[in-house]
Amino acid sequence: MQTLLLVYLVSAFFPFLFRRKLLKFIPFFLAFVHLGSFSFFLSKVKWIADGNVLSETVAWVPQLGINFDLVLNGLSLAFALLITGTGVLVFLYAHAYMKSYKNLSVFYFYLFLFSAAMLGLVLSGNLIQLFVFWELTSYLSFLLISFFHEKETARNAAFQSLFLTGFGGLVMLGGILLLGSVIGSYSVSDWVNQSGLLKSHQFYLPGVVLIFVGVFTKSAQFPFHFWLPGAMQAPTPVSSYLHSATMVKAGIFMLALLSPVLGGTPLWTYTLSMTGAITMFLGAYFAITQTDIKAILAYTTISSLGVLVLLLGIDTALSVKAAMLFLYVHAFYKAALFMIAGFIDKKTGTRDWRNLGGLARSMPVTFVFALLASLSMAGLPPMLGFLGKELIYEAKVQSPVIAPYVLVLGVAGNALMITVALFFLYKVFLGKPKNQVEIKVKTDWAYIIGPGLLALLSLFFGLFPAVLGETIIEPALISILERDYNVELKLWHGFNTVFFLSLFTVSLGFILFYVVSRNDSVLEKWRAFNQRIFSVRFVDVFNSILKGFLDFSKRKTELVQHGYHRFYILTIFLVASIFLWYQVYVTIGWNLENIFTLRPFYVSRLVLVIILSTIFSVVSKSRMATIISMGVVGYGIALLFMYYSAIDLAITQIIVETLILVMFVLILQRLPLFARLSSRTSRIRDFFIALSFGSAMTVLALKSINVNFNHPISDYMIENSYTNAFGQNVVNVILVDFRALDTLGEVTVLVVAALGVYVLLKTRKT
Amino acid sequence: MEIILAILIGVLYTAGVYMLLRRSILKFIIGIIFLSNATNLLVFISSGIIAGKPAFVDGTTPSPNNLADPLPQALVLTAIVIGFGIVVFTLALKFKFFETTGTDDLDQLQQTDN
Amino acid sequence: MNAIALPIFIPFLLILILVVVRHTRAAQFVSVLGSTLLFAVSLVLFVSLKGGKIHTLNMGSWEAPFGISLVLDYFSGLMLVTASLIVLCLSVYTIYFMDGEHRNNKFYVFFFSLTMGVNGAFLTGDAFNLYVWFEVILISSFVLITLGNTKEQLEGGIKYMALNLIGSLFFLAGLGLLYGKTGTLNMAHLAHILRTSEQPVLINTSAALFFLAFGIKAALFPLFFWLPASYHTSNISVTSIFAGLLTKVGVYVLIRFFTLFFVQDQIFWLNLFLVIAGLTMVVGGMAASSHYDTRRILSYHIISQIGYMIMGLGIYTPLAIAGAIFFTIHNMVAKTNIFLVSGLINRAKGSFYLKDIGGLFKQSPILAILFILPAFALAGVPPLSGFFAKFILIKSGIDAGQYIIVAVAIATAMLTLYSMIKIWNEAFLKKAPDSIETESSFKKPVFAELLPSIILGATSLLMGLFAATIFGYTMVAAEQLLVPTNYIESVLNGLKP
Repeated sequence: MQTLLLVYLVSAFFPFLFRRKLLKFIPFFLAFVHLGSFSFFLSKVKWIADGNVLSETVAWVPQLGINFDLVLNGLSLAFALLITGTGVLVFLYAHAYMKSYKNLSVFYFYLFLFSAAMLGLVLSGNLIQLFVFWELTSYLSFLLISFFHEKETARNAAFQSLFLTGFGGLVMLGGILLLGSVIGSYSVSDWVNQSGLLKSHQFYLPGVVLIFVGVFTKSAQFPFHFWLPGAMQAPTPVSSYLHSATMVKAGIFMLALLSPVLGGTPLWTYTLSMTGAITMFLGAYFAITQTDIKAILAYTTISSLGVLVLLLGIDTALSVKAAMLFLYVHAFYKAALFMIAGFIDKKTGTRDWRNLGGLARSMPVTFVFALLASLSMAGLPPMLGFLGKELIYEAKVQSPVIAPYVLVLGVAGNALMITVALFFLYKVFLGKPKNQVEIKVKTDWAYIIGPGLLALLSLFFGLFPAVLGETIIEPALISILERDYNVELKLWHGFNTVFFLSLFTVSLGFILFYVVSRNDSVLEKWRAFNQRIFSVRFVDVFNSILKGFLDFSKRKTELVQHGYHRFYILTIFLVASIFLWYQVYVTIGWNLENIFTLRPFYVSRLVLVIILSTIFSVVSKSRMATIISMGVVGYGIALLFMYYSAIDLAITQIIVETLILVMFVLILQRLPLFARLSSRTSRIRDFFIALSFGSAMTVLALKSINVNFNHPISDYMIENSYTNAFGQNVVNVILVDFRALDTLGEVTVLVVAALGVYVLLKTRKT
Repeated sequence: MEIILAILIGVLYTAGVYMLLRRSILKFIIGIIFLSNATNLLVFISSGIIAGKPAFVDGTTPSPNNLADPLPQALVLTAIVIGFGIVVFTLALKFKFFETTGTDDLDQLQQTDN
Repeated sequence: MNAIALPIFIPFLLILILVVVRHTRAAQFVSVLGSTLLFAVSLVLFVSLKGGKIHTLNMGSWEAPFGISLVLDYFSGLMLVTASLIVLCLSVYTIYFMDGEHRNNKFYVFFFSLTMGVNGAFLTGDAFNLYVWFEVILISSFVLITLGNTKEQLEGGIKYMALNLIGSLFFLAGLGLLYGKTGTLNMAHLAHILRTSEQPVLINTSAALFFLAFGIKAALFPLFFWLPASYHTSNISVTSIFAGLLTKVGVYVLIRFFTLFFVQDQIFWLNLFLVIAGLTMVVGGMAASSHYDTRRILSYHIISQIGYMIMGLGIYTPLAIAGAIFFTIHNMVAKTNIFLVSGLINRAKGSFYLKDIGGLFKQSPILAILFILPAFALAGVPPLSGFFAKFILIKSGIDAGQYIIVAVAIATAMLTLYSMIKIWNEAFLKKAPDSIETESSFKKPVFAELLPSIILGATSLLMGLFAATIFGYTMVAAEQLLVPTNYIESVLNGLKP
């Protein structure tokens, strides 16, 4: 399987090898690769059904528990077949659909890389690896949705989908890491083995909730569902592949994968079935008032994803069986309908059903396939969809505790689906032809072969459900349930509760269809009604939260980075004073002796002079006086150095001070006079901040003198200065020998500064 | 004596910070100079100070305890020289800035934020 | 091992040569040659550490702790290799991205004095020597930022200088107090003294000054003001250098100091780091999301990312420190790269302002790929380097029970994603706003201009694909940091003064 993924990765770059005329062969080649791997997986069906599991491991970052564990069992096989099988058809379809666009190499590159990532995802046996592929699918979906990137709507929709699924992915990663920290592994098989420990651990609740967020965003569950209709901005092959058949099912895969580990608890059951049921109903409800046929399909997809989540939430053998079957049911009819919708779009130039009608006459073959697919969507016999719906009802009836509530929403949702399906067929294919333009499109077959095959499969498996049941559904169930389970699928179940429920639903759906199709104004009113009660659209909520956040950020940033230089400095010294005083407070118990020794009076007088000059230079209004008193401070300090045995220091200080003074005086005449710019309040405030910092430093200085952990290393220097370094002046010896590297740095600073000044003053450009 | 020097350090720091918080760039530079002086003094006295015993040695066995600690002196010397380089560049920059913009007021420096 | 002084002396030699070289072409040639040599030497030095060795060199043969020691361990080795890779890439990039003004102004002298300072800071084992290198970095960056002499650059330069100078003064004051208390400057010796002393908590006040100093240098909240005020004003090559090297030296020293010898009163310090890390991430991330100038977005984003590094330090497990190091080197590479690419964008479209540009995706797919690599790496998209950097940090946070900072880190990752997508959408996907602007006004980049970005982008990718190797290195580095016995003994040579 590594080889397979490698082939996918390499093939993804294939489109870049072709230019101009050869471009049209790209989809065929890629479809061929899909076909190859489809047959590979098909060849494994029997083997897997016999209870075998294929697994391979490639180490990636084993220290962190991140490996490439590739596992092919019933569950991953079911998904892999779906991905590669629809992959073949989608690439064939894309050949026709994308022909007229530019940048095709990039498109096929993205799309095929997506296939590879999706395949990697479902083959993952390590949850971190799964996350990596999960993120890759999100990013590729982003790139594909924004393929028509000059449209702002496409960019925004792409951004929304990425932001939500990316967010969900990261949160899910948090959940995986949290639960992983309990058992110290990210390998799915380890998780399955330690399921009991996980379920009883205190991290179970937060971990599961975090993972749910990931699943719900990816699989477009309420309240994160709104990115999916937006994603319809993508080219139609992308919609039918990513946003109905594969990527949005990643969340479902995750749930199926983890249900033996985390499932079966009230948290699992209630959260999933409630969310699923609500999503299912809302999806169907909103679908009916859409006018864009792709949007209708998008909302019904949301509804179907809700059904899947609901079924996995109920988490009985029956419901999981129903889920796996419905996965296929949905993939067949939805991908087909998307492709048909895209074809209609190409043919007529519109996707608004209000401008469409009577297409059955001009597109008879397409109509037949659309009919089959729609019947499957409505859940009418003899299609596979009927079987799916029956099983779902059966599972719901048996679902614990919340059955009535789920059933009501389920019946309502299904009835609406029937209405939508019939309505779609009626408005677009039957009825009076509107004055739509019909464009002649060549190679109709490429448009039809995909949906046709899928629709026919819906019919075939509806008639012979056992074929699907034994080969694919049963092994998948065994993987999920972790025990043997015999799947028998029949079209006809006999007259039981489920049948009557079904009958009721169908009648309801037909009645509703009758009402809305009789008169267009009913739907108009309905739409208006929806807009009134659901005046808050989720997309808008998302956008306004985002905008609010950005405005808040902007305001706050202006507050922090306000541009007033002084306040930056003020903040820094304020923080410093608080911090230092706190530390002084914490480490208060130091030894206070030896501080108050009295020394010769004239030194104190010198200090007094320095202090007075300092104060004078601060308060003086004359520039010259300020600078001169600053000079006095500098020279005073030099004298202090001199007194305290630092001859070299004193000399240096005097030289430096003199140079600085000279420079000050030189540039002074070119500069403006001091102006008292700041107010009295601000001066007082500044003074206190300065004082608190200054006094903190006084305390620190005193403290430092009185804390001694160790004899200073300079003792050694004094001892060795003459004998080993041949110098009498220890300070000089330190500078040129002991710490010569410092002096090298110091020289560098001077050179750079000198050169910098030269460069700065040389250029006259302003 | 250390306490008086410690107070001097405090005064220099206070004056320096206060000057930094003025709007004039010139005062700002003076503030920096005060702060450097204060810091140099702080480093200088940090391991204790001895008057009149500079660290000069000859062949006769020196006893470190009677001499002033030469290491802080060397450090301060390095720091003074480095500080000098930086102040000179700052002065040149300030000069250039005034020449370019004609203002000395730091509050006018708001082009580069927001 | 004498060779570990080479990363300091090679740039010094280059400075000496470049001061006298007048011809621009010759200077460029020397700088590319020199930085290639530097990179090779760093690589060889790093390889020589294999097996967890620590190399030391006592300058002037004065035994530690009396002279100045240079120390090369895994942490400094990793930083050194990354830094010299960046220097190499930039020395190529600057050939094409220096305006005439900059070229005549001895740009390369300042460039290599900065490099010298950075390498010195990574290698030195002496606290005061570190100060000297910081000053070398400061004056060099100070000159570099104002090199173009525009009004904005002078203004940005003044702000940059003012706040960094305050940082340096804190540093020096802290050093004075540290020496006063411990009587030593050698870092290993400091570690030895403070780890064996009875009341190490008395050092807290010095530690506070150091924290303030490096907090300013590393641009932590609430001390980061200088960075957004100045970074976007200078030439894009200069900004790239700064983005790659400057703040990271601050982070390096914080990690070094607070693992080697400021290990007293850890509950206080680590909690403080976590709080500061969270605030830094969020504030930086929010500010980045609210801007529309590429350089400003990326500048604020630097701050946000510093938060992650400090987060690793705050969690303080081997895994977390390894994560912080992984994140730092990943960030140096990716951040420099994205600035380089934004320079390319500016070159191609004539503006950094997102609302003025667009349509690059169509015009230059190669630029799109070059942007996507660092942008996705920064956003943490697998399998690029940033994914593992964030993964390790988040994992270490969860393992250590620090859930709040993990939540903040995840939320900040979303902000990063938003900022990157914003640039991508606006500069690449959107149609160019001015309809008159056609393909003709677009300047096609030549291959050599792209080369540095290609190298750094490939590095980001390889760091992800071979994360096991890199993680192994960072883990060794983290273990060396957290159990510094080996470090102390190597430097002090078994001597117990």
